[in-house]
Amino acid sequence: MSRILITGIGAFSAIGDNVAANRQALISGQSGIRTLSNFPSRYAGSLPCGEITRSTDELKQSSGIDDPGVTRTSLIALQALREAITDAGLTPEQLRSSDTALINASTVGGMCLTDELYHDANNDGLAGSPFLSSYDNASVTLFLGQHLRIGGIQNTINTACSSSANAILYGARLLRHGFARRVIVGGADSLAKFTINGFKALHILSANPCTPFDAGRTGLNLGEAGAYLVLEREEDCHDKKTYAHCAGYGNSNDSYHPSSISDEGEGPFLCMQRALEAAQLTAGDIDAINAHGTATENNDETESRAMIRLFGTPPPFLSTKAYTGHTLGAAGALEAVFSILQLQYQESYPALRFNEPIVSTGLIPSASYRSLPVTHIMSNSFGFGGNCSSLIFSAV
Amino acid sequence: MEKEQLKQQLKEQIIKFLNLTNVKPEDIKDDEPLFGEGLGLDSIDSIELIVLLSREYGINIQDPKEGRKILVNIDTMVDYIEQHRTK
Amino acid sequence: MYIHYHNCIFPQQTALPGGLDTLLPADGNQLKAIEPSYDGVPPGLLRRMGKAVRMGTGTALPLLKDLRPDGIIIGTANGGMEDCIRFLNQIIDYDEGMLTPGNFVQSTPNAIAGQLGLMTRNQCYNITHVHRGLSFEQALLDAAMLSMEHPHRNYLVGAVDEIADYNYNIDLLGGWYKKHPQQNKDLYEANSPGSIAGEGAVMLVVNGQPEEAVARLRAIRSWHGTNPDDARTNIEAFLQQYTDGNIPLLITGENGDNRLLPYYETCEKLLPGSAVGRFKHMSGEYPTAAGIALWLTCRLFEGEALPHHFYKKGKENTAGPVLIYNTYKGEQHSLILLSKK
Repeated sequence: MSRILITGIGAFSAIGDNVAANRQALISGQSGIRTLSNFPSRYAGSLPCGEITRSTDELKQSSGIDDPGVTRTSLIALQALREAITDAGLTPEQLRSSDTALINASTVGGMCLTDELYHDANNDGLAGSPFLSSYDNASVTLFLGQHLRIGGIQNTINTACSSSANAILYGARLLRHGFARRVIVGGADSLAKFTINGFKALHILSANPCTPFDAGRTGLNLGEAGAYLVLEREEDCHDKKTYAHCAGYGNSNDSYHPSSISDEGEGPFLCMQRALEAAQLTAGDIDAINAHGTATENNDETESRAMIRLFGTPPPFLSTKAYTGHTLGAAGALEAVFSILQLQYQESYPALRFNEPIVSTGLIPSASYRSLPVTHIMSNSFGFGGNCSSLIFSAV
Repeated sequence: MEKEQLKQQLKEQIIKFLNLTNVKPEDIKDDEPLFGEGLGLDSIDSIELIVLLSREYGINIQDPKEGRKILVNIDTMVDYIEQHRTK
Repeated sequence: MYIHYHNCIFPQQTALPGGLDTLLPADGNQLKAIEPSYDGVPPGLLRRMGKAVRMGTGTALPLLKDLRPDGIIIGTANGGMEDCIRFLNQIIDYDEGMLTPGNFVQSTPNAIAGQLGLMTRNQCYNITHVHRGLSFEQALLDAAMLSMEHPHRNYLVGAVDEIADYNYNIDLLGGWYKKHPQQNKDLYEANSPGSIAGEGAVMLVVNGQPEEAVARLRAIRSWHGTNPDDARTNIEAFLQQYTDGNIPLLITGENGDNRLLPYYETCEKLLPGSAVGRFKHMSGEYPTAAGIALWLTCRLFEGEALPHHFYKKGKENTAGPVLIYNTYKGEQHSLILLSKK
């Protein structure tokens, strides 16, 4: 069967406006976690987040968008998506073609407008609000699809924190089945009162910059980002620049608890195992892992156990959420881009703020920037509802 | 408030707060564990109960681990409420 | 892909044959689902579920008694909207203070698929499509691909959405529901903008095997955009590619909104010999309502006569191909072609 190749990437996060800037921050160990400042909240000025420093108005201006109903999530998405399609050299004609698909993921969607939704939903005097069709997850996809005149299949996926990993998986399957010849896949989420207060209520937000896989970790930092990839079939790529081959993907459900992972990491284990099977690889073939690594007590320990169970001694791994925060619906795609960078440049980035290993597992993430031979890299994403996904990218 | 009265009130509040639609106050025994066996509550419920203590009795527990020691059963909760309530 | 089992909870009686003959009325321009007692759902779990999760699990569990699907694929535009807004209200009412997390956890749209995975201890493929008015169609396409990848495996595919006071209010403000009182039995005579709100859950068990199947999904197509010419082009191309022009029954998503009627009339004109059926006077309008049309088609293929109020034109009870055309707000469109074998 024809291979699925990555022909374009785009990323916009707290550590950079584009892919190159993101890579530079990763190489130099520059974290994007800083104090929340872009919107009024009880936590503004105190809570550490992976915030994109530019305001929503600035984003509108730089994107040339003046529609008042466009949300921050859509603006972040648009910037990253434009980078990916430019990188892949997709023409307007190709975008309009019925065999170009857009598979997008978002968990916040228009819920970044928490206060506005409250007013509109309670009908207290804001009739004529421009946001009436902007609140759901699909609003971001529909905006992108309309703005770029995407002619083929459009879809939005929400499997909580693994959403955009599943968008990549779904896009790859559309190509395999011939429902599209090129797919733009990825996701975007912006910081929102809704998610900040939700994670706060679950007591899994850290008051300090997060410390993935550290014994003393105290929870996650939320972040915002957009990240997109262009996937095409090998036979259509000809002499096009290609980054990697989307070799395998696995999806599983942990079926244990609505908001935490089972002690032995059953769901994480199964999705990694299924990704290996799909890629026809064995555990020993994997050279590096971009872990889910949210820095919650539950995730890092259960993910470590699952990695040990599958790999024995896991290959070099780290969680880039120490740089970007947990970008929820964007995380799977953003970390796919980071994994592809590791493949492209044969390198490994430093894990930040790691002090000592979790006692029961003893795993130590990559310590410093160095060159690392990588042929196959795995990227993990696990979410609420037990939704676990793992992707494998391989050198072309 | 008398201890028995407080127990009754707390049970009613727990039922309402956790939406235990098929449970009556008299079904909850004072010394029966709230979590695992007994009522079968889980970690999300324990956080909900910490919020209940805050909203109804003005008791603020910051660390959920601290909460587990208080939320053992109705007796332990009532003892804690009597000592620490601010409203 | 072949459909083998189906179940439905929606605003009409579904349990008994002929239950659809009596049209139950809307209340305040809303058609609310008739919820069963949910005997199979443990009370400890039921207490936390919002209506969408309840309807979704309550519709799926009877199908999963003796069957373990190799995938749970749900299409829902909003998932647990009720919980979402409850949490939102807490944020504002308590000024981001100490909040209860239950609503937040249940508010994520993937709570239905997640809860089903949890309750049936199913660790297989699990996904939630949330593409507003095409959420169910994308779930169907996903299941169709899986059925081609592994024809012998069973997959659960579903469509679920609820009316919450709040999304009702937002769509009312947006002009998508009628501002005047509207009885559902006269929905199609209104000649005014807007429809009436509805909700429901449809669950199907599908695989790649034709033996003893109820229905076969022959093709599915979706497109975006309000241009009526696009609709015509897409319908014509679809009919040419997948049919010989013989479609005994067309089911449309006509919903009493006179702004959307031209789309459906375009489709009817392209199939002048077809009987035409409508269902939104039974279900109300909601983003995954196309699931109801598919479920009705399954009942028709099983030999049940659909009620007289279903038919707009002609009457067809044979087992020929059925085409479903639905549009959500004129912006999202889908065609689903089904046949008995």
